[in-house]
Amino acid sequence: MMSNMKSMFDLNKIDSQGGKVETTNQHSEQAAVNALEVRNLNFYYGSFQGLKDINLDIEQGKVTAFIGPSGCGKSTLLRTLNRMYDLYPGQRAEGEINFYGQNILEPGQDLNLLRSRIGMVFQKPTPFPMSIYENIAFGVRLYEKLSRSEMDERVEWALNKAALWTEAKDKLNQSGLSLSGGQQQRLCIARGVAVKPSVILLDEPTSALDPISTGKIEELINELKHEYTIAIVTHNMQQAARVSDYTAYMYLGSLVEYGKTDEIFIKPKRKETEDYITGRFG
Amino acid sequence: MNNTSNIDKNIFAKRKRANKIGLSLSMGAMLLGMIFLFWILSVLMFKGFSAISLDLFTHSTPAPGSDGGGLANAIVGSLLLVGTCTFISTPIGVLAGLYLSEYGDRSRVAAITRFVTDIMLSAPSIVIGLFVYAFIVAQARHFSGWAGTVALALIAIPVVVRTTENMLRLVPGSLREAAYALGTPKWKVAFKITLRAAQSGVMTGILLALARVSGETAPLLFTALNNQFFSTNMNAPMANLPVVIFQFAMSPYDNWVELAWGGALLITFAVLGLNILARVVFREKVQG
Amino acid sequence: MPDKHLSSQFDADLNSLSSRLLEMGGLVESQISTAMRAFTQMDIDTCNVVIENEKLVNDLEIQIDLACTEVIARRQPTARDLRLVMAVSKAITNLERAGDEAERVAKRTKRLIEGGAAHNINVAEIRLSGQMAINLLRRSLDAFARLDTTAAAEVVAEDRQIDEEFRGFVRKLITYMSEDPHTISTGLDMLTIAKAIERIGDHAKNIAEFVIYVAKGADVRHIPHEDLVREANKD
Repeated sequence: MMSNMKSMFDLNKIDSQGGKVETTNQHSEQAAVNALEVRNLNFYYGSFQGLKDINLDIEQGKVTAFIGPSGCGKSTLLRTLNRMYDLYPGQRAEGEINFYGQNILEPGQDLNLLRSRIGMVFQKPTPFPMSIYENIAFGVRLYEKLSRSEMDERVEWALNKAALWTEAKDKLNQSGLSLSGGQQQRLCIARGVAVKPSVILLDEPTSALDPISTGKIEELINELKHEYTIAIVTHNMQQAARVSDYTAYMYLGSLVEYGKTDEIFIKPKRKETEDYITGRFG
Repeated sequence: MNNTSNIDKNIFAKRKRANKIGLSLSMGAMLLGMIFLFWILSVLMFKGFSAISLDLFTHSTPAPGSDGGGLANAIVGSLLLVGTCTFISTPIGVLAGLYLSEYGDRSRVAAITRFVTDIMLSAPSIVIGLFVYAFIVAQARHFSGWAGTVALALIAIPVVVRTTENMLRLVPGSLREAAYALGTPKWKVAFKITLRAAQSGVMTGILLALARVSGETAPLLFTALNNQFFSTNMNAPMANLPVVIFQFAMSPYDNWVELAWGGALLITFAVLGLNILARVVFREKVQG
Repeated sequence: MPDKHLSSQFDADLNSLSSRLLEMGGLVESQISTAMRAFTQMDIDTCNVVIENEKLVNDLEIQIDLACTEVIARRQPTARDLRLVMAVSKAITNLERAGDEAERVAKRTKRLIEGGAAHNINVAEIRLSGQMAINLLRRSLDAFARLDTTAAAEVVAEDRQIDEEFRGFVRKLITYMSEDPHTISTGLDMLTIAKAIERIGDHAKNIAEFVIYVAKGADVRHIPHEDLVREANKD
């Protein structure tokens, strides 16, 4: 009874312009949380500067796409988000990247733990040389202790999330390499999802796949975004237009324009952006 | 129009001729190699076959002048020596290869290790035998199976290190990155992902190292020497096939010569078998 | 379009859309001119010319719409290319309807001539607004060709004058018809003709609004005039 009265009261809320405001919409718009905030990011490959003063936010629960010509720094930027560049000496980043308020560029971070919270799927499908089941269990075992039945559940859950369960459930013990290219990539996505990260980074995930596999994965991204924050690098502009909520256009290491995907593709603010997306190069 | 088609025909005819010449030369070279291989194998078979019998495997080497006998002690001795050598050299070699490939890409230690490995790969086996003689046999004042094992290991380890490192390097970086991206710590990436991905190649390397040391004679001359009797005591001189062949082949005794051929046949087929096994293992893994 | 696409075929396709739009516009313009001439001179043959040529206008609408669809299917245009294709697709509808209005003028004129009692009402307003409508249409198409938003904003403003001329004529007609009920039939035909011209002005205004949409990305339909001018002059 009390809760009913409460919701009635909320629905009667009137905003300053005299119109009725739907509580749920207002709540989610006001609470746009950023999973990642990049501030003044500069990146160097030795003496070459790959990223120049990047500032942008990656909103929680949304898909953010990075587009731009080859060498513009979009993959570089993606790889700073999970400190992948740390594997290679001579590459360094300066600035701040706040992951839910915590600056991940500060020295002394547990990088392995970070990478379990910010997962990545690469362009080339890379199943581990083990069974499909083990592929998924491998990542989970790193940080969680699950019983056999719990692990079975997790594997099934992850494969379901990646729309691979029906195709794989009868061959869980077969090598991951026995799957087709599109299936392997979905396995990699399942693997990444299984550890329940907050953010999933996708680096040109469908470049190596045929149109049908690509379509399946785009559909997957659409479903995953409700529970995960997704950042995707793609050189296919139409893909960015199809799957993303926000798009960032980069050129020669700088962020040229960043905004809602609809706006970028109907009415971009910068001429450089418009030239790129309409195919006017040179 | 006619002109151009004539020129084309000429070029085509020339190319066909060059192709035929190249093909014949390479086939000729191959046949030459194959002829010698088959010649060796057939001589071995011919001369050694008569020695193959149950006795070969049940009796030990005969005393000079006595009849019959077999190679039991030499076979067991070789198996022991090669077996313990494998037991030592595999972990050392694989771990060293792992270090070179995964951890020590740029360090000075790695560079020095690789250099030393390369030298030892091409070191004359007799030099290695002499080395082990000076440090172990002379110190202990007696020959032993352990000394033989050490000598063989010193030959096998560089092979394993090299092949392990090469096979690990063949594993694409994207696989490692995928593992890191899950939050896998470095040692786990190295052991559970990279090594596992390269495992067939690494095993091949081990098998090839085995095949190499099974036939090494010179180092054993200084270290394990030989033993006329059946013995499994590694602290004492150990019988082994290569040295037995060496001793028996040029002796005046007929049965000794026969046994020598038999031993040669055994070694040859063991090495052949290991090589084939290595290939089968590698191919299976690559296809699977 | 200032810059060239990587695909010259794409450039050619978009330019073709624009030029065919202008071609259709020219045809419609001449239809209106001819219809006005038929009305002024009360010449039945001229009326028939307009009525026959109406078919050409309809055919052009269908062809250009098909071309727009093909560009979308093949090229997935974005940003200003997308806005251009959308605008062309809508503008040809406006042109086709303007063509219909021209035909209506011709048909009513024909009825007037056949009815016989054509010359009693002073039709200066109709002639004047007819001229204005043709002028507006020409200027709106011109603005489209150059994507000139200032000129387009002027067209939108001047459409009002046609609307006022129309209202003036209606008042005059009411007076005339109430004085002599025998003139009602003729008067109604006149009303239809005047209304057709007023609608042509509206179509020209719509095309001008599309110019601002393509050039600036702002949809200025149904907004107050000051806001429209502001959008037109934005950078």
